[in-house]
Amino acid sequence: RGIRVGYTPDVLTDATAELSVALLLSACRRLPEAAQQVRSGGWTTWKPLWMCGYGLSDSTVGIIGLGRIGQAVARRLKPFGVRKFLYTGSGPKPETAAEFGAEFVPLTRLAEESDFVVVTCALTPATQGMCNKDFFGRMKKTSVFVNTSRGAVVNQEDLYNALASGQIAAAGLDVTTPEPLPTDHPLLSLKNCVILPHIGSATYATRSTMAVLAANNLLAGLRGEPMPHELKL
Amino acid sequence: MWYHKPAINEELLQSLPNLKVVASSGVGIDHLDVKLLSSYGVKVANTPFVVSADTADMGMALLLASSRRIVEGHQMAVSPDTEYFPADWLGVEVSGATLGIVGMGTIGYKVAERAKAFEMKILYHNRSQRKKEEESAVGAVYCKKIDDLLQQSDFVLLAVNLTPQTHKLIGKRELELMKPTATLINISRGLVVDQDALVEALQNKVIKAAALDVTYPEPLPRDHPLLKLKNVIITPHIGSATTKTRWVMMEEMVESIEAGLAGLPVPREVL
Repeated sequence: RGIRVGYTPDVLTDATAELSVALLLSACRRLPEAAQQVRSGGWTTWKPLWMCGYGLSDSTVGIIGLGRIGQAVARRLKPFGVRKFLYTGSGPKPETAAEFGAEFVPLTRLAEESDFVVVTCALTPATQGMCNKDFFGRMKKTSVFVNTSRGAVVNQEDLYNALASGQIAAAGLDVTTPEPLPTDHPLLSLKNCVILPHIGSATYATRSTMAVLAANNLLAGLRGEPMPHELKL
Repeated sequence: MWYHKPAINEELLQSLPNLKVVASSGVGIDHLDVKLLSSYGVKVANTPFVVSADTADMGMALLLASSRRIVEGHQMAVSPDTEYFPADWLGVEVSGATLGIVGMGTIGYKVAERAKAFEMKILYHNRSQRKKEEESAVGAVYCKKIDDLLQQSDFVLLAVNLTPQTHKLIGKRELELMKPTATLINISRGLVVDQDALVEALQNKVIKAAALDVTYPEPLPRDHPLLKLKNVIITPHIGSATTKTRWVMMEEMVESIEAGLAGLPVPREVL
């Protein structure tokens, strides 16, 4: 129908990568759960193994989709003592991967070897439902799964089963299908699942920049001029 | 001993004439009277370096959780009352913000290493200045006067040990020097902060928020105002709480005890 589309890539990379790491840390260190115990009075005495989570030192981090956001995530995780970065996607990206010494591996190997899995890929027919029963079945019992891409990349029923049965240790989701989840959704009942309301880019600075960019795209489109960021259809 | 129990005093030491060594979990020894123990010929050991990485991770976790409103966001996402996610529900980006680290020891320095990857500007206050190479590796700028750090920081993180000199280091005066948009993060000891002054500062919006892994006492009494404030995140002293680290701590404590009982030099002895 000859409708042009503008969008706002790039300007939200840092905010989203930052949120991904914040979510990873909140999930692996059980932050919301622990904070809740403090408020509810569940914290009575201190015991050595109470509220223990998983550390990043000497860990293997697997990034699904080493695009701009995936790279920004890796950059932020590096000084936490990560021993190895793995990544997967449609093809290897040697120049990008070199910064982290990241190794390109098949999805199955990434699942098997990672202590932390971070999903930062685009949603496409190839990635839809990619994180499913087989994927979670290969992950370590002590591993943490983080999704800040799109809810549909994950088979939510399989994720629920993996978390409930202890097949993986914990998950952090900024995105789900739908958003919000229905109030009786089983994922909402899990203590080891941190869910956020799709706030990857939700900072004053980033949303302002996005808004200005979107407006400029629109104005350019209305004037029949090239847009700052046009989606090629 | 785990945490700070039992309380070690003259009475206890007199009742344990054969006590040779006390192994304490973690790096903090503010709960131990080392001079007193020494006068009874008892050696003291702690578990210093093993806790550093996890505690630094926790410091960053609290900083990020506060700034990006993780705890609130999670509550919204799982609440049965939430019908949609408001488009104007926003947090503040950590990238490019200024972090002031008070106490640049092992843990403080590890926090700086992590914060640098988020493109934060790093200021630090310490009893002594760090070497030039150490400073430039993380881009940290020394503030000889804590006031300079407090006035310029968006996030103030406390990583000092508790001593008579650091007791109530952050009080009403220091909180008033901080920006009204600043957040206080404490991964050191509750008593480093004048807690009553902190409550007042948070209630009166003198500072924006606080994220605390430590308080005094622990846990706080059920009716304590800090538990009711919306702009506060409190975690139950879990800085070193990973299964791996807690196991290493246990092994280190046992190793120190065995050496002490055998009359050998005690690893990680506190002198």
